[in-house]
Amino acid sequence: MTKYEIKKVFLKTGSKISILILLGLLAMTCRFAMGTEFTDESGVARSGKAAVLKLKAAQKEWAGILDEEKLKRVIEENNRINETPQGQSKDYRQNNIAYGWKQGFREIRWLINYSFADHFRESDYYKADSLKAEDMSKFYVNRIRLLKEWLEGDGRFNFSDAQKAYLIKQYEDLETPFYYDYLEGWSQLFLYSPTVIMITMLVLGYLLAGIFANEFTWKADAIFFSSMFGRNKAVSAKIKAGFNITTVIYLVMMFLYSAVVLMYHGIDGWNCPVQAGTFGWKCFYNIKVWQEYLLIIAGGYIGCVFIAFLTMWVSAKTRSAVLSVMVPFVIIFIPSFMGNIDSNLVNKILGLMPDRLLQVNSAVRIFDLYELGGKVVGAIPILFVLYGVLAVVFIPVIYREYRFKQVK
Amino acid sequence: MELRIEGLTKKYHEVTAVDDVSYTLTSGVYGLLGVNGAGKTTLMRMLCTLLKPSAGAIYCDEKDIFGMDGEYRRLLGYLPQDFGFYPDFTVWDYLLYIASIKGLRPAVAKERAKLLIEQVGLSKEKNKKMKKLSGGMKRRAGIAQAMLNDPQILILDEPTAGLDPNERIRFRNLISELSEERLVLLSTHIVSDIEYIAKEILLMHNGRIEMSGTAQELITAMPEKVWSIEVSKSEIDSYIKAYKISNIKAVQGGTELRLLSENPPAPNAVLETPTMEDVFLYYFGESAGEADD
Repeated sequence: MTKYEIKKVFLKTGSKISILILLGLLAMTCRFAMGTEFTDESGVARSGKAAVLKLKAAQKEWAGILDEEKLKRVIEENNRINETPQGQSKDYRQNNIAYGWKQGFREIRWLINYSFADHFRESDYYKADSLKAEDMSKFYVNRIRLLKEWLEGDGRFNFSDAQKAYLIKQYEDLETPFYYDYLEGWSQLFLYSPTVIMITMLVLGYLLAGIFANEFTWKADAIFFSSMFGRNKAVSAKIKAGFNITTVIYLVMMFLYSAVVLMYHGIDGWNCPVQAGTFGWKCFYNIKVWQEYLLIIAGGYIGCVFIAFLTMWVSAKTRSAVLSVMVPFVIIFIPSFMGNIDSNLVNKILGLMPDRLLQVNSAVRIFDLYELGGKVVGAIPILFVLYGVLAVVFIPVIYREYRFKQVK
Repeated sequence: MELRIEGLTKKYHEVTAVDDVSYTLTSGVYGLLGVNGAGKTTLMRMLCTLLKPSAGAIYCDEKDIFGMDGEYRRLLGYLPQDFGFYPDFTVWDYLLYIASIKGLRPAVAKERAKLLIEQVGLSKEKNKKMKKLSGGMKRRAGIAQAMLNDPQILILDEPTAGLDPNERIRFRNLISELSEERLVLLSTHIVSDIEYIAKEILLMHNGRIEMSGTAQELITAMPEKVWSIEVSKSEIDSYIKAYKISNIKAVQGGTELRLLSENPPAPNAVLETPTMEDVFLYYFGESAGEADD
């Protein structure tokens, strides 16, 4: 039965086209994620596999424990390059040559910019240029100091005392000095992961919107419900088909995306803490890069399954594929509009919306904190448990909704 | 096999679609005859557990069919009036899918599907997509799906609607062939569909079974007689106003009317042998002959 339900979905011309569109968009996203540039000796930005290999080789030279000594070397090298004629030149082409020499420690330089920013929420690209080697002893301390200053200043109304203490403790618990490595592959992978997950979800929404509603649209409902398993096993088969389609398409998409990007850029840096990348410097979850990857994959999966089930429930409830297909759009885009509202309560609610699961790479960097039984918890574990449980709860809800349908 | 309907009522807000119907059906072909909106489809949908009654119950061998759930539907084959299907499925896939939701094991399903495809004359169209079939072929696929589980109860709602005369005859013969050893309830508003194959005809009007019996019993029970009379064109209107007219035929020198009346409508009227068409006209009056439900 499940096999035929899946067949019903994929035999439709619209479904075939949507899969082709999905693969096309995946190819485009991979292309973007492979768009890394390397500025060569003449100051010209190059892209392509050769550029990636050169960047990797340059950054690999700076891989290792990011201790004071290494940071000092970065500042010394940065300052030395700044003093060269190319660094001093007013000609942007000469400046590009100087920039090219800095590419090996470009990411570390950014971490320094963050660490030595004037304010927690600021970043100044030229900050590193004004620093001396001896300042580097404060590299890790500054991260905590800036957080504390922000929590006492602009951020003081956003968190309770317990939440502030939790954030500071999380920052203090980060093991330092941490290991740094070339992270371009993961950085690009994380950057475009929400795009891949969201387009997958939208296509899944389209595929699944008719799984229940089409029985009515095609007027096949009377035969379906008057058959022996029409009000039990055949309903389960539809739910199973929806789940299987979601699982397979999601996993295939994520596998293809990860494989293409990581094979292109390399998997180096997988065991670094996320704070070693410019994408994770302020993150309060003390996790490794590979753990963030798993969180992105798992979060996206839970989110997709939840939204898929919600779509299927609307499909069963309203008998309308048109209304059902709108569910993923509403879930993905409504929070974006609400994000403009400057309210703590709204932010708290938005922090727990299912769209966050589709963009875990951003969610791990947002300070969404909640207190459960006196314990401070980040949004990520709550989102995983909440929508994991809701997805499971949806199974009997959909089943009951469809099982008792009347055919008028 | 006995299907007992007891005080069955279905209301949609203020409208009573089926009104306190009680009847017992056993093996054989039953024709449910009624005009558009008589409640035939609603009654059949309740018999197929597609609709819950507002009041009353249906018992299959003394067990409530809604309580029996899948156990009852295992005995059931249903061809709805508005026969829907999966447009991109081939006939073969369609039948195998329906077989699977009817609880047939794959090996049995393949065997039954093959047999029925031959029986309904769709062997050449086996691998054609359902959406590419003609109206008659779709109906035949519909009857094949209804027969997949070799049902003891076969419910056919207006199975000949929209078919051309040849297809209609072919379909009627097919139903007759398939009706052995089972309870068949066939609804129609076309008398000839059931006149010769039904062991009992149920006349449904305004949600109620107005009359039932064999074709002969219904004809005999009709209180009015059937007359034919030749009239001039100018007289037609007055006859239409005064009598139920079952046929108007132009003949040389005037028009021949076939009408119902207790007494001769004119001295030159000729007494005719009544048919089921006349019975239908008698019970359903001006609503008779309306378009498909």
